[in-house]
Amino acid sequence: MGSVMQVVFDAASLGSLYALAALGIALIFGVMRLVNFAHGDVIAACVFVLLWPSVDAVAIVFAGNLPWFLLIPFVLAMGALLSVLSEIVVFRRFRNANPATMMIASFALGFVIRYFLLMLYSSRPKSISLLPELSQPVEILGARIPLLQVITIIVTIAVLFGLVAFLRRTRFGLEMRAAAENFTMARVLGVRANRVIMGAFALSGALAAAIALILGSQTGTANIVMGANVMLMAFIATVIGGMGSLAGAVIAGFALGAIAVVMQVILPPDARAFRDAFVYGAVILVLIFRPQGLLAARGTKERV
Amino acid sequence: MARSVARKTIATPLILSALLIGFALIAWASGSRPFNQTVIDIFLQVIFVVGLYVFVGNSGVISFGHIAFACLGGYVAAWTTIKPMMKGMSMPGLPDWLMGIEIPFWGAAIAGGVFAAFWALVFGAVLMRLSGIAASIATFAMLAMINSIYSNWESVTAATSSVVGIPIIRTLWPYLVAAIIAVFIAWAYSISRFGLALRAARDEPTAAAASGIDIPRARLIAFVISGAIMGAGGALYAHSIGLVTPDTYYLGLTFTTLSMLVVGGMGSLSGAVLGVLILSSLIQGLRWLEAGVEIGTLTVALPGGVQEIALGVVMIAILMFRPAGIMGNRELTGRFARKENPDRSGEQT
Amino acid sequence: MKRVIAVLATSTCLAGAAFADDDKIVVGFATAETGFMQAYDKPAQDAAMIRIAEINAAGGLLGKQIEVVNADTKTDRAEGAKAGLSVIDAGADLVVVSCDYDFGAPAALTAESSGLISFFLCAESIKAGIQGVGPNSFSASVLAPVQGATMAQWAYEKKEARTFYRLLDTWTEYNKGICDGFDYMMPQLTDATLVGEDTFLNEDASIAAQITRIKSLAEEPDAIMLCTMMPGAVSAIKQIRAAGINSMILNGSGVDGSYWLSAVPDLSNFYTPVQGSVYGDDPNPDVNAFNAKFTEVTGGAPSTQYTYPGYVMIDVWAKAVERAGTTETAAVVAELEKMNNEPTLFGPRTFTPELHHQNQARYLIVETNAGKPAVIDEWTISAPIPMDALLK
Repeated sequence: MGSVMQVVFDAASLGSLYALAALGIALIFGVMRLVNFAHGDVIAACVFVLLWPSVDAVAIVFAGNLPWFLLIPFVLAMGALLSVLSEIVVFRRFRNANPATMMIASFALGFVIRYFLLMLYSSRPKSISLLPELSQPVEILGARIPLLQVITIIVTIAVLFGLVAFLRRTRFGLEMRAAAENFTMARVLGVRANRVIMGAFALSGALAAAIALILGSQTGTANIVMGANVMLMAFIATVIGGMGSLAGAVIAGFALGAIAVVMQVILPPDARAFRDAFVYGAVILVLIFRPQGLLAARGTKERV
Repeated sequence: MARSVARKTIATPLILSALLIGFALIAWASGSRPFNQTVIDIFLQVIFVVGLYVFVGNSGVISFGHIAFACLGGYVAAWTTIKPMMKGMSMPGLPDWLMGIEIPFWGAAIAGGVFAAFWALVFGAVLMRLSGIAASIATFAMLAMINSIYSNWESVTAATSSVVGIPIIRTLWPYLVAAIIAVFIAWAYSISRFGLALRAARDEPTAAAASGIDIPRARLIAFVISGAIMGAGGALYAHSIGLVTPDTYYLGLTFTTLSMLVVGGMGSLSGAVLGVLILSSLIQGLRWLEAGVEIGTLTVALPGGVQEIALGVVMIAILMFRPAGIMGNRELTGRFARKENPDRSGEQT
Repeated sequence: MKRVIAVLATSTCLAGAAFADDDKIVVGFATAETGFMQAYDKPAQDAAMIRIAEINAAGGLLGKQIEVVNADTKTDRAEGAKAGLSVIDAGADLVVVSCDYDFGAPAALTAESSGLISFFLCAESIKAGIQGVGPNSFSASVLAPVQGATMAQWAYEKKEARTFYRLLDTWTEYNKGICDGFDYMMPQLTDATLVGEDTFLNEDASIAAQITRIKSLAEEPDAIMLCTMMPGAVSAIKQIRAAGINSMILNGSGVDGSYWLSAVPDLSNFYTPVQGSVYGDDPNPDVNAFNAKFTEVTGGAPSTQYTYPGYVMIDVWAKAVERAGTTETAAVVAELEKMNNEPTLFGPRTFTPELHHQNQARYLIVETNAGKPAVIDEWTISAPIPMDALLK
C-alpha cells in the first residue's frame, strides 16, 4: 500500500508542477491566442531576481535573504511585473498578428531574456538555499514525501480553485472570459482590452514566479535553462487539455506528470532511458484521437 | 498551361539562385577559411528553411518537428560514410550490410533524403489529419520522440555520444548546388497542382474540401517532400562539421530555422531564402562587432553576449513593422515596375 | 558591396600576416568565451595562461616567446569548427580546444586535418584523443572511468564498504564514463555486491521514483555511486539526503567545489576525487601557492579542480617541445608519447602511442563533512584501466 501511495504522490507532485506551468500558458492563450514561449525564461528570471548579478561561481544572495513572508510576495510581484512589462513593450504591438508571428516574437523575447541573464550571471548554475525547511519529508499514508511537494500539490489545487472563483465570480474575471471567447465583441460591449490582457499577463507572471520558487527550492540551484523543460511540458499540457480551457490544462498537466512517473516505475531498466519517448508517443496518440483536447473550451471550434 | 506558369514564375528561383551564387563568390574572393565555413553554414540553413517552407508555407501549419528529419538524414550520413572499422567501434549494433558500406557524400545526402522521406510518410500518414495548433504540438512531440530515441539507442546511434569520422567537406560548391536544387524543388512543387491544392486548403479549408481536395493527402505530399529536403540537408550538415549528435538537431536548430522563415515571410519562397540571408548576415555582422572592429587606432567592440540579445531585439523589431515577415507573401519576380495589387498578393500563378 | 569585400580582405590580410613567424611560438585557444561552456573553459584557460606567463618570464620556449591567439566557439559546434580554422590561419602551433569532447571536437578535427596538435583543456572522455579525433590529439585531464574506479576501490579498502548502489545520470558521456569505471572495478572487489541500480536525467526536477527504489531495499546500501554532474547533481543529492538516506555518496570530480554546498546545508558522508585541492589544504604546498597566484591574477580563487588541467597541459606540451627541439607536430607527439609518470604539479602524467589520456592517476579524496570539504586521503587505483574496458 505504501509504495502505491508513494507512486501516487510522486505523480501528483510532478503533475502539479506541470499543471501550474500549463495554467500560466493557458491564461495567456485564452485571451490572446498567443503561446508564450518566453514563459520558461520568465521562470528562470524570477529565480535570478533573488541574486545580485555576478559572474562568480558563488551566488551573492541579495533578496534571497528576506524572510519567507516577504520573499514569496516579492518574487510573485517581480514575476507579474516582468510579464506585464513584456506585454507592454513587445506583445502589445502584435495584437492582430498571425499566430506564427506572435509565437516567434515570444520566442525572440525569451531568447533576449535568457542571454541577458547569461550576460549578468554567467552560465554556471548558482547554488541557492531557498526555503530549506521545506525539504523535510513527511509521512502520509505510508508514503514519504518532502513537505515541499505536499505544498506544491496543495498550492496548485488552491490556485486552480482560486482562479476559477476569480473568473466566475468577479467582474474582472467575467471580462477575461468574455475576451477569451470573442475578443472583438467583448471590446464592442465595453470591456477594456488592455486591462484584461495586462491582468492575464500579471497572473501568468505570478504563476511563473510560483514555479520558480518551487523549482529553486527543490533543486537548490539557479540555472538559466531551468524553466525550459517545464515550459515544454506545459505547452504540451495546454494543447492536450484543450486550448483555452484552464481546467483542461491542469488535468493534462497532472496526466503528463503521472505518465512520466509511472513509466519510470514500471519500465524495465533497459527501457527506462526511453521513458520520454513513451511520454511523447502518448501525447501523439491523445492528439490523434482527440485533437481538440480533453476539455475543449467553448468558442474554440473553427466556424466556417 | 503548366509550361506558361513555369515560364512566368521561373524568375523567382533564378533570382534566388543568383543571390546564393553571389554569396559564394564573396566567400571565394575573401579567401578566408572561417568565412568560407560561415557561408557553408548559410547554405545549409537555406536548405533547412526552404525545406520547412515547402510544408509550412504551403499548408499554413507550423511544424516544430522538421528538424527531426534532418536528424534522421544526419545519422544516415554517419551510417554510410564513416570507415567501417571506426563505425564498428562507435555503433556496434548496426546490421552487417550497413556496417560495410562506405559511399561518397552526395550518395549519403540522397540516402538521407530518402530515409527521411520514408519516415515523413509514416508519421505524416498519422499526423496530417490534425489542424492548427494540435498539428504543431504533434510535430513537436515527434521531434522530441525521435530525439529521445536517438539519444538513448546506444548500439545504433552511439546515444548522446558524438559520432566522429564523417568525411569533412570544406569546399563550397556542393552546398551551393544542394541549396540551389532545394530552391528549385520548392519552386516546382509550389507551381504544381499539388502545391496549388494545398495553398487552397490553407486559405479556405471548407471551400477547398468542397471542391474535392483531399486535405490530409495534399499535406502529406508536402510533408514528404519537405522531409526529403530536410534529410538531405541534415546529411550535408553532418559533412560540414564531421560529427553528429542528437542534440545538434533539436530545439536550437528548430527555433533558428522557424525564426528565419517567419521573419523572412512564411508564405513565400523568396521570404524563406531572404530570411536566411538577411538574418545570417546580421548575425555575422554582430559577431564581427563583438570580436572588435578597428576604426583608426581604436578597437570598437560590443561586450560579449550582446550579439544574441541584439539578434532577438532586431527580430522583434522586424516582426513589429512587418508582421507577415520581410517578404510577406510576395515573391521576388524581378519586376518592380508593376504596382502590386494588394488583393492579388497571395497569388503566384 | 565594395566596402564589404574590403573589410573581408583586410581581416584576411591581418590573419595572414601572422603566418611565417620564426621568432615566436603561437598557441591558439579555440574555446568558449561566451555561452554555457565559458564557465568551464575560462578557469582552465586562465590556468594555462599562468603557465604561459611563467614560461615567457623564464626566457620563453626554445628561446622564443609564446604568443596567444583566441577565437570564440560560442558553445556552438559549427562555430567551434570556424574557431579552429581561425586560430590555425593565425599561425597556431598548438590548438587548444574546449573542456568537453562534444564541444571541442569540431575545432580539434580542424587541427587534425591541418596536421596540428590539438589539446582538450579538460575533457575526460576517451574520445578526446586518438580514438575520437586523431593521432595528434591529446587531453590534459584524467579519464572519467578512473574517477569511478578510484572511488569504488577507495571506499572498499578504506571505508569497508561492501554493498553498493549505482545511480547513473544518462545525460552525458562523462557521467557514463564514471559508472563504466565503477562497473570495471566492482568485480575485482571480493565480496562487494551491487544491490541495485537506476538511471535518471540531469534535468529531472524530481527523482522521487528513483529514491523510492533505494528506500525499498532491505538495508540501506553502504555506498551510493552517483555518476552525475552539475547542475542536476545538486538536486539529486538534496533529494537523497532529504529522504533520509545516509549512505556514503561517492562521486566523480564533476561535483568538486564548495560553491554549491549552500544548497544542501550540513552535507556529510560525501566523497569526491580531485587532482588538486582548491580548499587550501593540498598536501603539496606548491599547489596552494598556485591557488594564491591564480587568485592574484584572475581576482578569484579557483572554484573547482577543473582549473588545474589547463596548467598541466601547457606544462607537458612545453616540456615535449623543449625535448624535441622544435614545434613540428610529429616530433612533439613522439616526445609526448614517451612521457611515463612525468611529474607535474597535479600528479604524474603518462601518454602512450595507444592512449593520449590518463587511465590511471593519483587522486586526492575530499570528504565533505557538515558542509565543509577537506582532503582526507589520497588514492591511485592498483592498475591502469585497460583499453577494452575504456572502449566498451
